[in-house]
Amino acid sequence: MVLLISSLIFYFYGEQIHIWILLLSCFMNYLFGRMVEKSKNKKLILILAVTMNLGLLGYFKYTDFFITNINTIFQSDISLLRIVMPIGISFFTFQTLSYVVDVYRGTVKANKHFLDFATYVCLFPQLVAGPIVRYKDVAEELNSRKHSISDFERGISRFVIGLAKKVLLANVIGELSVILLEANQPSIIGFWVIALSYTLQIYFDFSGYSDMAIGLGNMFGFHFLENFNYPLIAKSITDFWRRWHISLSSWFRDYVYIPLGGNRVSTLKWIRNILVVWFLTGFWHGAAWNFIIWGLYFAILLVLEKKVYGKFLEKHKVFGHFYTVFLILISFVIFNVNSIADGITFFKNMFGLGSLPFISLETSYYIRSYIVVLVIAFIAATPIFTNLFDKLKQKKGFKIVLNGIEPFYYVILLFIVTAFLIDSSFNPFLYFRF
Amino acid sequence: MKEKVTIVLFLSIIYGFFLLNFIMKDEELSIEERRHLKQFPKITVSKVLDGSMMTEFETYTLDQFPFRNTFRSLKANVEYSVFQKLDNNGIYVSNDKIFKIEYPLKEKNVMLFTKKVNQIYEKYLQGMNVYYMIIPDKNYYLDDVHLKMDYDKLYQLTKENIKGLSYIEVRDLLSLDHYYDTDTHWRQEKIIPVARRLEEKMIGNVSNHQYELKTYEPFYGVYYGQAALGGKGETLTYLTNDIIKQAYVENKSDLSFHQVYHLKELGKMDSYNMFLSGSTPFITIFNEENKSGRELVIFRDSFASSLTPLLIESYSKITLVDLRYMGASKLEEVITFENQDILFLYSTMIINESVMLKD
Repeated sequence: MVLLISSLIFYFYGEQIHIWILLLSCFMNYLFGRMVEKSKNKKLILILAVTMNLGLLGYFKYTDFFITNINTIFQSDISLLRIVMPIGISFFTFQTLSYVVDVYRGTVKANKHFLDFATYVCLFPQLVAGPIVRYKDVAEELNSRKHSISDFERGISRFVIGLAKKVLLANVIGELSVILLEANQPSIIGFWVIALSYTLQIYFDFSGYSDMAIGLGNMFGFHFLENFNYPLIAKSITDFWRRWHISLSSWFRDYVYIPLGGNRVSTLKWIRNILVVWFLTGFWHGAAWNFIIWGLYFAILLVLEKKVYGKFLEKHKVFGHFYTVFLILISFVIFNVNSIADGITFFKNMFGLGSLPFISLETSYYIRSYIVVLVIAFIAATPIFTNLFDKLKQKKGFKIVLNGIEPFYYVILLFIVTAFLIDSSFNPFLYFRF
Repeated sequence: MKEKVTIVLFLSIIYGFFLLNFIMKDEELSIEERRHLKQFPKITVSKVLDGSMMTEFETYTLDQFPFRNTFRSLKANVEYSVFQKLDNNGIYVSNDKIFKIEYPLKEKNVMLFTKKVNQIYEKYLQGMNVYYMIIPDKNYYLDDVHLKMDYDKLYQLTKENIKGLSYIEVRDLLSLDHYYDTDTHWRQEKIIPVARRLEEKMIGNVSNHQYELKTYEPFYGVYYGQAALGGKGETLTYLTNDIIKQAYVENKSDLSFHQVYHLKELGKMDSYNMFLSGSTPFITIFNEENKSGRELVIFRDSFASSLTPLLIESYSKITLVDLRYMGASKLEEVITFENQDILFLYSTMIINESVMLKD
């Protein structure tokens, strides 16, 4: 009860008006769960549940996208509704959908206690930025959680690391991409650094939020599944998607791809399945064409890897790594641009077709200024630190020293993160006196 | 053991700062940033429901966080020492002096500046002795490691586009040492040659004025707080003599009279404001010791505040107009242009941001 109320206060802090959508989703899916379990016509209830959930998501997230496209195709002038999307709706809709489907499949039992179910949906650590936690993974812990000192400590360390990833790496690298994008003297190298910055920023931002969610979960006795597993060291796009936003890719695998037949169908149907899943994956990320293209871009790459050169990549791992990083950089440019026209301009600039110099004084200045952060980010995107830390801990002498240092490491990190957050309010009144 | 230490430290920090927020008194002003800090927002139902309450509360929390300046200093040190960034919030340190990146050159603004000067000249000043001097900001004298505006282009554009005014060069008289280490401005004790050159060009002869040096310390310039790196303040030196002491200043905005040096400003938010009491739209300095009747009108920014006292002896009356606070269209209400010397004295920073000059 305390956790539910705290979660609702947390949600209300960022989303005042649309909190009712969250409550409606809780109530509606609680009922659907119970009805699917008891009803003789389970399928009908399931269809109703899917329609209602996707209807809510569609209304709040995609209405203006559809109106814009209808206006473009039919030269009509339908006014946009400018609907404000409730925070986290994509995440909690997918959570509740997975719950109802799992009850339908008999994988889990419907929760009889509304407050327990609402706590699952509203659980503040993962409510607004994921990961997508499935009911079956936390069902037991909703009823009886074991709190332990080691879980709490693990939660603290994970939370602080996540916060540091977000504030010290994602935000700082995000600054670099903005500066270079608005540069007075743009350059080809500058656009490549922007692409790299986008990739690192999104990775540290999203994986940072996931770390914070998992850490906070640990503190409260929950054990959420991992959402990222060093995706930037992947050796193929297939490998990348096993490591990136795992909770989403596994959701689509279990609730869309496999029901469509997965890969146990003809090649043509399999390709259709892949295209459907990745179209939806892209569309889930945002109501714009660049997200759909982003999803389909991965669909094509996954098909090619499976049918054309996947084995080659397995044999040539170093090549595979460069190939993956290159394609990921390209993908996050598609992900970040505001329109297709912007994307085309960006790629022209990146590949030297935009009449830009190779490098400019301004680009060179900012690369020099941010090079250490970028190097730290490269290293932090690999398991080097973790592996080294684990190896050293196996040695007795080191273990004692590391155990002594570790708490203070988190304290220092927490202070530095706080300093960066406070300085974000730095707002000198510059022009009043000179 | 490790686990317990981590938990105790973490919870102590979280709850410790939570309590400190309650205990510590909210600050009104940030001297470092020269602005008012956010106070606790007024709670209303409408503000809670539209979310503005939460936004205001976040601003308040960040502004009033305990030991805010210490945290800002920590951030600056991490940026410089760990991340090896070349600047922090556009501020950087070189040769123990603090600079702010002035980049890029905004050619549109430079052209706007020349247009405004030309408009004033054409409307009020034709046939008069009109001069202009462009003061380089201190980045001009620094190496090329950091980004800086294209100064050559700025000087070229102003020379090409300002019509009817005589240009007075100053760059050869200045170097980095002529500026404060922690501030934007030049040091008054170093710019006597600048005043003499102005006299030479505008009056035709150079007098040999004598000054007494007075000092104040510690002086913390505008960049000191922005850099957030701590360290010692510096010495602010001001030059005075009997004539400067006897001269008096009329401030049109509050109809007050005061001395050339406003010593009460020393130690306040901005000690540089001691020169002619800082930024103000329209002031007149009267020097009754000079019987020549010669007058000077300066269109200026704050660099003129410390320079003008060094010109007082040569004029009976000096009027300073700050177009950032007073539109050029209001000039005829407060001044009659007859046979005064006219000087436009602007720094490169203001020219690059000339949209702030009022029409």
